[in-house]
Amino acid sequence: MKQYGIALDLGTSGIRAQAVDLDEGNVISAVISTNHPLPGFNVTDHLHFALESGGENAQNIIIRAINQIIEGLAIPQSNIIKLAVCGNPIQLALFQGTEIRDLAFSGIEKLRSMNVEVQHRDAQILSASCFPNLQLPPNCKIIIPPAVCHEVGADAIALILQTEMHKHEETSIAIDFGTNAEIVLFHNGILKSASAAAGAAIEGKQIQCGMLAAPGAISDIEHTMDGYQLTVLNSDMLPEKGRIINFSYPGNDLESNTELLPIGITGTGTVAIMKEAMGNGLISLPDICTEDKMLHLGKDIFFTNNDVKEAGKAFGAIRAGYFTLCQDAGISVEDVQIIYMAGASGTYVDPVKAQKVGLIPPAVEKVVRAGNTSLAMARQLVIDETHLDEMTRMANDMRKNYFSLAASEIFKKVFILELSYWLEGMPMTIYRNLLKVYRFRDMPEIQGKLNIVNDFNKDSGITTYTNSITIRKNEDVEISGCTLCMKCQAGCPVNAISVRASPLSPAISVDGSLCLGITCKRCERACLENVFKLLDFFN
Amino acid sequence: MAYGSYKEMMFGTALNPVTTKNGLAIGAGLVIPEIVPHPRPGSEKTLKSLLREFERANEDALEKCIVVGFPSIVIENEHVFQMTDNADWGMEIALQTSDQINEYYNKYGLKAAYRATIADIRKPDMVDMRTSDRAQKVINAFEACGKHADILSIESMGGKEIFDYSIIRNDIEGLLFAVILKGLDMQWLWKQIVAIADKNKCIAGGDTNCSQANTAMFMAGGYLSKDVPQTLAALCRAMGVSSSLVAYECGASGPGKDCAYENPIIKAITGIPISTEGKTSACAHMDLCGNVMAAVCDLWANEAVEYHEMFGGTTPAVFAEILGYDAAAMNSSIQLGYQKEYQACLINSDRYRSPHGFILCPDNAWEIGKSIVENNQSYYSRAKAAALKCSELMRNDQQLRFSAYESVSLNTFTKEIEQLPDNEPDFIDKCLSKFTKVHGFNPASYGL
Amino acid sequence: MNAHDSNNIFSRYDLFIETNSNKVQRVSNDELSQKIAECVIEGNEDETERVVKEIIKKKKPMDIINSGLIPGMKEVSRLWEVGVYFLPQVILSSDAMIAGIRLCEEKLGMAIEKKARVVTHTAEGDIHDIGQVIVNALLNASGFEVINLGADVPTEKVIESCLIYKPIMVTGTALMTTTMTAFPKIAARLKQLNMNIPFVCGGGAVTEEYVTGFDLGIWGKEASQAPAMAEDALKGLSWDEMRKKWNG
Repeated sequence: MKQYGIALDLGTSGIRAQAVDLDEGNVISAVISTNHPLPGFNVTDHLHFALESGGENAQNIIIRAINQIIEGLAIPQSNIIKLAVCGNPIQLALFQGTEIRDLAFSGIEKLRSMNVEVQHRDAQILSASCFPNLQLPPNCKIIIPPAVCHEVGADAIALILQTEMHKHEETSIAIDFGTNAEIVLFHNGILKSASAAAGAAIEGKQIQCGMLAAPGAISDIEHTMDGYQLTVLNSDMLPEKGRIINFSYPGNDLESNTELLPIGITGTGTVAIMKEAMGNGLISLPDICTEDKMLHLGKDIFFTNNDVKEAGKAFGAIRAGYFTLCQDAGISVEDVQIIYMAGASGTYVDPVKAQKVGLIPPAVEKVVRAGNTSLAMARQLVIDETHLDEMTRMANDMRKNYFSLAASEIFKKVFILELSYWLEGMPMTIYRNLLKVYRFRDMPEIQGKLNIVNDFNKDSGITTYTNSITIRKNEDVEISGCTLCMKCQAGCPVNAISVRASPLSPAISVDGSLCLGITCKRCERACLENVFKLLDFFN
Repeated sequence: MAYGSYKEMMFGTALNPVTTKNGLAIGAGLVIPEIVPHPRPGSEKTLKSLLREFERANEDALEKCIVVGFPSIVIENEHVFQMTDNADWGMEIALQTSDQINEYYNKYGLKAAYRATIADIRKPDMVDMRTSDRAQKVINAFEACGKHADILSIESMGGKEIFDYSIIRNDIEGLLFAVILKGLDMQWLWKQIVAIADKNKCIAGGDTNCSQANTAMFMAGGYLSKDVPQTLAALCRAMGVSSSLVAYECGASGPGKDCAYENPIIKAITGIPISTEGKTSACAHMDLCGNVMAAVCDLWANEAVEYHEMFGGTTPAVFAEILGYDAAAMNSSIQLGYQKEYQACLINSDRYRSPHGFILCPDNAWEIGKSIVENNQSYYSRAKAAALKCSELMRNDQQLRFSAYESVSLNTFTKEIEQLPDNEPDFIDKCLSKFTKVHGFNPASYGL
Repeated sequence: MNAHDSNNIFSRYDLFIETNSNKVQRVSNDELSQKIAECVIEGNEDETERVVKEIIKKKKPMDIINSGLIPGMKEVSRLWEVGVYFLPQVILSSDAMIAGIRLCEEKLGMAIEKKARVVTHTAEGDIHDIGQVIVNALLNASGFEVINLGADVPTEKVIESCLIYKPIMVTGTALMTTTMTAFPKIAARLKQLNMNIPFVCGGGAVTEEYVTGFDLGIWGKEASQAPAMAEDALKGLSWDEMRKKWNG
């Protein structure tokens, strides 16, 4: 009987899974979800939801989504003997249904006042029966990697172990280009890790026409003689050349011979747009310089001044992050010789463009595209769980050298420089002058000589055999007391609410893939009868 | 006579230029635009709303100067009733405008000045012109505005009750009497204004015969009107100099008020800088001397424009632009040495358009001025002399054509004036008995 | 460069602005005051302290503050407004000015009177205080007295401070949605105690919808808006008038 294992990367923007043939050691199928099962687009949204609706409820929803994904992998369920997960501490804690309050509040005072202890999240092997409603054989092993601390988790450990950055001599930086933007610096034998909370712009949310990498997503753009040529992900998730556009004129596209219709912009597409527009005078920070102050990429696909700001903040957080780590280690960013780019965005983004917008250090020469290291780690774990020991050793090591960017005065100063650069249009000359005033090292000009190495054969499964699943709770919920005034539907800024009048009473459904989550709740405020409760739709 | 001949008189230059606190020189060689915004009805409900209205209006004018590149500007706000009635209101607005002007000076180097024109809320037919509360309020308003304004002015109302009575009856005697009364009132008033200006180191600008001669001018209207003959309006204008002069005799230094169409005559006599208006006051009223009024102006104004939106901007901005360009054209002619030619064009446009424009041409204005100086024994004698000289000038120039009505009127008025008593006391006595029945007329108001 | 052309027919303000407005302008004719102002304008805290220590021997402290430090900061604000200076420089100058004022206050033996008090804090459980750092610097620069409670501040402490210091405005920063839940609690408590002062909330996760969902709440879109909002509070605008103005 064939034995299968599942590798699961629990990301903040979505879940990525691979089914592994444990005998042959190869990937049979792969599935990605286009969204996270909990409403909201960053870890604190998810934490907040879990705090309000209960950890059990949150876990339930996640497990339901995982079940959907397992189904999508199309392997005989009774043959699954192992499942390994990887992800940041929050996603893993939500999956496990364990304590999350020390993750939700970084201030010690608050934790103390709530009598919450800071958790040690060590490696574990549990059985599927410990996870209520998980559709796997009860004896299936669930392999859980350790976390370093509340901000840095298994995904950061994966980043290091998969790139093997610590096994080389050179000073290097690894960045996981995701919502949480883990950054690791390796110098003089010491690994320093941090999280730069770059916000969802990196993965394509928070951008008005943004989307996660999926078929139809604009993932790149190139300046050609005739204009700007789009690159769009096709149904196999492979990048394909699309139509040629001219940012200034909506709909006035030069026809190309491809039928590929774009539907949104990914994070890598955002990077490309920013680089091309800034380089060609269409963006003069912080403004878009076209007549209608927008960059048009197609029918209903555009980039606004606000998108420029969001992207800028995300890029600035990362640059400030690696600059701070270097400054703290006593080196200049110039001394970084290798950059490892990981995460879905890290894999697809053009390193040259990424460097131009500051996402990777300005003087680095060797770029290693490491692919989805989280997923790769999970795959390694599911094939051989003794890797947990290596992870535990690494976690202990990193715990000593974890760096809190939020508490760092260096980061604060540099991030304010970044905010000024992206949001006020402060010129780089003044930025560098101010670094001098602060007595920091310099941020040199971008050298642009890149030697790119693709190292994601470990990740080959991500580009083939991939189905994408949209996790959305679409069941109608009956709300007693509803008068069908439709104000909730009208008030929702993302059109996630559908109201249907059924014979007995009105039924409402909320599209979880669109819902902004607890922080919005305009629906609740709009309800005239005060009966609409968001949590009723997520349990 | 300050000027030896009319040939010395030119726009932009006055023999006795004045300079404001912050260094804006008026009549020192360049024409400066003077914008006069007027608040919309309703905005005077509260001080806050009025402050906001003027803030916007004055700011729009200042900003336009920067946008188009005008080196300097004078802003005039004519007080609405509430601004004088509550001295604080006028003062707050003056302070606000002064701050705005300072800001523009600091930021761009734009030189500007503020003229506060107090409202004469004394209605001669209702209150005593000297002892009433309203009179006191007017003085208080001067005190208050003097703290922040650069130039103080007023359009005083003395003699209005007699004037209104007389103009509809075409009674030249009454019109002359009204001038004298105005002069007496101005004497009382302007001594105080000049004292206040001295105390505050601001400028006592000037007054105008607007309440009388301009009324006559409006009633005379254009070519389609027949209410009041143009010739009578011209005579009123000439006579009005007699009273307008009083302000300067009390120590006012100019610039004279824009609506004082008699300013060219005043300038000839005193050499003070003057503000005039012509075609650019079309937003407020029409006149038949739209170009000639610029011939010897030092400030070029628009009378008053109510605050509204137009395609090109709000009205103060639009009119500031128009006035500014007019000034730039005149200043360019000075720069290029063509000012005499330019002046000649302005004069030629209106010299024979109507009697009013005719007598305000520099040469005629100078002559009338001379007749005033030579007959300066009393307000009466000089007004009478001015009227007679005015009449003589009009009748002697063949190119100035009259309708039959006008011609007959002029001759009649001239004869009537010639038959008036020789000296002022006699004339006044005659009028006092004649006009006692005029509603609201109170000789004590004028110290009689 | 003079804006006026040689004939005073027109003035090239655009060229003037280009060369002049963008230059640092003198703030005082008095050499000593100008020197102090320049230290503030250059954002040099150490130099400001050194110079003030020297000049305080010759000049009265209030004079140093009113003719040197404050005009220097005003020039910095002007340069920021016209786009010559940027936020980090404003912060450096604000720090320099505060350091100078502190020295003067020492000499005077008392604190100088500020425009009004503002209490600032970062939400309980949150240590991401960059927004607050910016707000503090800008409010200080505008002459307000900032009661800076720091980060991870328990709600009771915020209420306590408001009772003690009676500020005209309170600000709250939060990066995470989990921590901003403290804000409506603070607002409710303030209301209960009849302190209906504007409570300006901002930060990474804080949305307009959330903040306008509770009384007293005004959304602070950008930290740089803080001084203008404080001026409004000082003018006497109520919290709902401010919300109408700033949150549409």
